[in-house]
Amino acid sequence: MYQYTEFDRQFVHQRAAQFRDQLERHLRGQLPEDDFKALRLQNGWYVQRHAPMLRIAVPYGELNSKQLRALGRIARQYDRGFGHFTTRQNMQFNWIPLDQSADVMDLLASVDMHGIQTSGNCIRNTTSDCFAGVAADEVIDPRPYCEVLRQWSTLHPEFAFLPRKFKIAVTGAVEDRAATAWHDIGLHVIRNDAGEVGFQVRVGGGMGRTPVIGTVIREFLPWQQILVYIEAIVRVYNKHGRRDNAYKARIKILVKAEGQRFIDDVNEEFEHILKDDVDGTAHLIPQAEFDRVNASFVQPAGVHPRAANVPAWQAAGDAPQAFKRWLARNTHAHKVPGYRAVTLSLKRAGQAPGDATGEQLDAAADLADRYSFGEARVSHDQNLVLPWVRESDLFGLWNAARDASFATPNIGLLTDMIACPGGDFCALANARSIPIAAEITERFADLDELDDIGDIDLHISGCINSCGHHHSGHIGILGVDKDGKEWYQISLGGSDGSSLATTAVPGKVIGPSFAADEVADVIEALIDTYRDQRAASERFIDTVKRVGLEPFKTAANATRRSTATAKEATS
Amino acid sequence: MKFIDPRDKPRDPWHTIDGDDGPMVTLTPNPFSLLTLAQWRGVRAHWPEGMPVGVLLANDVEVTEIAADLSHLSLVALQFPKWVDGRAYSQARVLRSRYRYAGQIRATGEVLVDMLPLLQRTGFDAVAMRADQSREVAERALGFFRGHYQGDALDNRPLFALPPEQRAALTQPSEAEFLNAGASI
Repeated sequence: MYQYTEFDRQFVHQRAAQFRDQLERHLRGQLPEDDFKALRLQNGWYVQRHAPMLRIAVPYGELNSKQLRALGRIARQYDRGFGHFTTRQNMQFNWIPLDQSADVMDLLASVDMHGIQTSGNCIRNTTSDCFAGVAADEVIDPRPYCEVLRQWSTLHPEFAFLPRKFKIAVTGAVEDRAATAWHDIGLHVIRNDAGEVGFQVRVGGGMGRTPVIGTVIREFLPWQQILVYIEAIVRVYNKHGRRDNAYKARIKILVKAEGQRFIDDVNEEFEHILKDDVDGTAHLIPQAEFDRVNASFVQPAGVHPRAANVPAWQAAGDAPQAFKRWLARNTHAHKVPGYRAVTLSLKRAGQAPGDATGEQLDAAADLADRYSFGEARVSHDQNLVLPWVRESDLFGLWNAARDASFATPNIGLLTDMIACPGGDFCALANARSIPIAAEITERFADLDELDDIGDIDLHISGCINSCGHHHSGHIGILGVDKDGKEWYQISLGGSDGSSLATTAVPGKVIGPSFAADEVADVIEALIDTYRDQRAASERFIDTVKRVGLEPFKTAANATRRSTATAKEATS
Repeated sequence: MKFIDPRDKPRDPWHTIDGDDGPMVTLTPNPFSLLTLAQWRGVRAHWPEGMPVGVLLANDVEVTEIAADLSHLSLVALQFPKWVDGRAYSQARVLRSRYRYAGQIRATGEVLVDMLPLLQRTGFDAVAMRADQSREVAERALGFFRGHYQGDALDNRPLFALPPEQRAALTQPSEAEFLNAGASI
């Protein structure tokens, strides 16, 4: 993974010092909350239900064991013992008192971490494929480009106060595991017919009230030009994005409203920068800089291909059934023969999806050291990944992972759901996500049943801000508030654009909202309908596409109890 | 960075031309007039050569609107109606790098101390801060970072384009730090 230079290290310490100055002025009463707010947000500090929430950047999802231990220490020393991994590969804490925030920033800086631009109306942490650099289906490793983007976007002086937040995701594999089409800018690193590397550029994707799939505005942009092209996009957005209404301020609204004119504006601005600006070519990426950054992303020195006719991980016919199940669900194809990438599941009974305790963070660090050259990843699906595991180590890792409750063999299955922290923590939420997730996890605890249901994406958001990506779930659950009560809208047929349903698309709402105590029944009814209707080996999303929403609607409506008698609550 | 104190007229001769109902449409050329775009358009044809004049540009106006006039303008004042509205940063940047504007670019409106690093790096060289802001804190705000990743109005080159010795110098302890270290012994 990327190795911080002395400059990078000094930079995050300087940022921590700058934040401490701002915090101290605020605590002394010299910086009113209205003025402090945007400053603390750009360092990851929200004010939430119980205390400030800190969102820590995990650039494109890469962590080393030292950083995991530091996160564990923060959980124990400053929080109430646990943190939460997000769909954008970051980590959040919920209970840190604001007056200790500067100390936490110093601690983070000591392990090359920070909260820079994890919130606020600026360019956020760039996200990527959690299997970048190891995936068997990878065409080009996106990480060096992500790192170049991280540096360019960090404290960019022109783009710190955009109309709204701005998110970039990059992938370089056949399968899109980063939901790129759902981002403000989605980049796909590709090779053209001439063998040159470049980007397919999408712009204007996003969730929220108006789910939109990004539009391709460049089929192939030479990689050297990416910073300049993004500068052109963000400048056009900064000038013309709406600032009168926060709900219409994302770039997706501008792209939709202006259509081709937006694309023309971007291309014109791009030409202007390169042709007319005194520094127009200064940000073309030189090969030497790419090589310098790329040198951080080589295979760890101890990784050697191990050819075997029968992969070691399949060989043991007498292995325990539970191990085989785990191998099938939680380990993934690797580009180096003899290796697997392994997912440590953060979806298990008794803990909220994506949560990890301080002890579990330490345990993950130990596993990373022992089995994965000290490296771990955060996945878009809110799990941890060990990217460099020898096939011959899998049995040992499985045993060790079970001890830390990381070994639930449910990756890609119904209980491997995405969920935001919801109303239990978040000040924006209309409804709670965690109890819904817990009830579904409890109801679908039988592993045989889960396996039979097969691959499915269940996504839960506690409000329309869509942090739980309900729009892109094959089943989406959205918390809504009516008359101070929690209700849940269910949608079907959405997709994040990964291989199960390759075109990203928002799901369709199947009817009036359901009461909280009906949601698990609805999910069960939807699953039962699928099992009744499916053709041989057909996955849930394919059955939905083939038979349409009607049978699912009918089954869902049959579960109504409270909502059948509370018609006024329908919408 | 030049700090403008609106109460200190002798040191800052620039003045707007306002009537009872807002900016006056017809006006007599006077040195150091800071005009709205409409006022400037009304007088630019007969503005005396060499008489200092500035334009106050709203943040939703393209700077191309004044591109042809820049050689006449000693001052372009850009606006922050709210401090979190960042459009003027783009205006300043384009004025400097695309149009090579060398006159003063002044930040006006709700200008806060913590904006100073962004203002300086996008090409502003003067600020008229909100009345409650402290110049001392503003100057301190300019000093937290020894270098940045991107090129900017102060140095067009991004970090990666700096010669190795210059890049290394950014992480050497500064002279001031040496002095402080000495003082504390």
